[in-house]
Amino acid sequence: MKIAFIGLGIMGRPMALNLLKGGHQVTVWARRAASMQPLLDAGATGAAGPAEATHGNELVISMVADAPDVAEVMRGVAQGAAPGLVAVDMSTIAPAAARQIGVDLAAAGVDFMDAPVSGGEVGAIAGTLSIMAGGSDAAFAKAKPAFECMGKNVVHVGASGAGQVAKAANQIVTGMGVLAVAEAFAFAAKNGVDRSKVREALLGGFAYSKILENHGQRMLDRNFKPGFKSWMHEKDLNIVMQTAHELGLCLPGSAATAQMFNAMVGSGMGEEDSIAVLKLLERLSGQE
Amino acid sequence: MKVGFIGLGAMGRPMALHLQRAGHEMFVWARRPASANGLPATLCSSPAELGRRCEVVFTIITSSADVEAVALGPEGLIEGMAPDSVLVDCSTIAPDAARRIAAKLGEKGIHMLDAPVSGGAQGAIDATLAIMAGGDAAVLERVRPLLACLGKRIVHIGPNGAGQVAKACNQMIMVAAIEAAAEAMRLAAASGVDCAKVKQALAGGSAASRVLDVMGERMVKRDFAAGIEARLHHKDFGLVLEAARKSGVPVPLTASVAQQLNALMALGWGKDDTASLLRVLERA
Repeated sequence: MKIAFIGLGIMGRPMALNLLKGGHQVTVWARRAASMQPLLDAGATGAAGPAEATHGNELVISMVADAPDVAEVMRGVAQGAAPGLVAVDMSTIAPAAARQIGVDLAAAGVDFMDAPVSGGEVGAIAGTLSIMAGGSDAAFAKAKPAFECMGKNVVHVGASGAGQVAKAANQIVTGMGVLAVAEAFAFAAKNGVDRSKVREALLGGFAYSKILENHGQRMLDRNFKPGFKSWMHEKDLNIVMQTAHELGLCLPGSAATAQMFNAMVGSGMGEEDSIAVLKLLERLSGQE
Repeated sequence: MKVGFIGLGAMGRPMALHLQRAGHEMFVWARRPASANGLPATLCSSPAELGRRCEVVFTIITSSADVEAVALGPEGLIEGMAPDSVLVDCSTIAPDAARRIAAKLGEKGIHMLDAPVSGGAQGAIDATLAIMAGGDAAVLERVRPLLACLGKRIVHIGPNGAGQVAKACNQMIMVAAIEAAAEAMRLAAASGVDCAKVKQALAGGSAASRVLDVMGERMVKRDFAAGIEARLHHKDFGLVLEAARKSGVPVPLTASVAQQLNALMALGWGKDDTASLLRVLERA
């Protein structure tokens, strides 16, 4: 398939590479020309902007930072689009913003789908991302071969915005999950108990989770390199909290967790992995 | 003095009346002209026209977007107000928005003060509002005689936006105190103890507060008619949390209280008094 890919950051670059590996013809564009080079070297075609990248392709995929970036890219896509184009945004943005972009693009004859991912850089490189799609059946059918090059667990969650709702739900679970493991470790340490033994014991029971296994191990190793930067988790939880405010939804756990991430960003830990919340807990309880 | 007033709600109307009674010639504009009925004031056809006719204009309306539209939008104040005239915005809006509006007006030589108030409808009626002003100190001195018609405590906090920061701090403390009072009343009731007696006893000790007096009384009497509508506190908490996020300052208690306010909204009590936080607790 002829696919345009826009946004070649930590996630976008390996995702576009996996499309090339899957035998697709890929046109790329990124704001910084340097980000495009590895893709050009691997056989992709370069474009001068979103409109040009879109021109002549059946499917456009974007992977950028935030809702205003997606809206800007998609305005370009609409200019370059032929009728029947499917545009898929895989960034994490607010469900309401995704729905609005869908409405705007429908007016230009473009079928828009939100399809945020979970699995991080590791999953992007390995092609094992979880992909949560929201939009029409036709758009999902069109994008599915591309999704299968990038991810393993590909789910069509529902109508436009539904993918972002699932992703927000994912961030609730992972945000609180990371904090829960960090609190359990802080609790063990303050009680003078070996946290690695606690992790080992818990892995066999109902507290088992990927977060306890993977993030927990990185906490034990005190390896706070991202991974998933805490400022990004804070941004995602802000989407959750804003949506909860607008809908009238009581989310006490998410609210408390969001404040921990807010504190991390404010105290200079924003560029570290979100598991660095362990360090914040230790600082608050005098465990440094 | 020729004084304009926009926003004739539960707060604005008594404030406008105080200015009129102090001998000022009043001009008003209202989205719904009927809300100006019975006010001894000249009704203007647009904020711009009102701006043309006044030396000082007061606004007290709901959201950042509303203030922006009235001040800067088409037929807005900016199109009518003369250089060196003053806009006193008593609304509770985001500090960022206040700074932005002040800068735009400043390009035309129009002064602005952000001057949000605390004290509720009763404070507006009694002219006992606390007024927290952000903007140029000399401009504040020019309008101080007008503000003195509305409130007793008028404090210059700092430059534009500073008044709104102070108001955000006010809301954090006040609504958290309402939640604390609600939780205490709930615990007393669930323990089979008379809430009225608890409140009476607390009023003499270290937990005494205006919130406990006023909101606690409403909780005891189960009188949930607003006062200040809870939806406005819910709106304000959105502003506070946004400001905390932009500053990277953790506000765990505020965030937790905000969730109780979200629940209150979901349960349909947004137009009732914030004392309804008690009813949220009773649902759990």
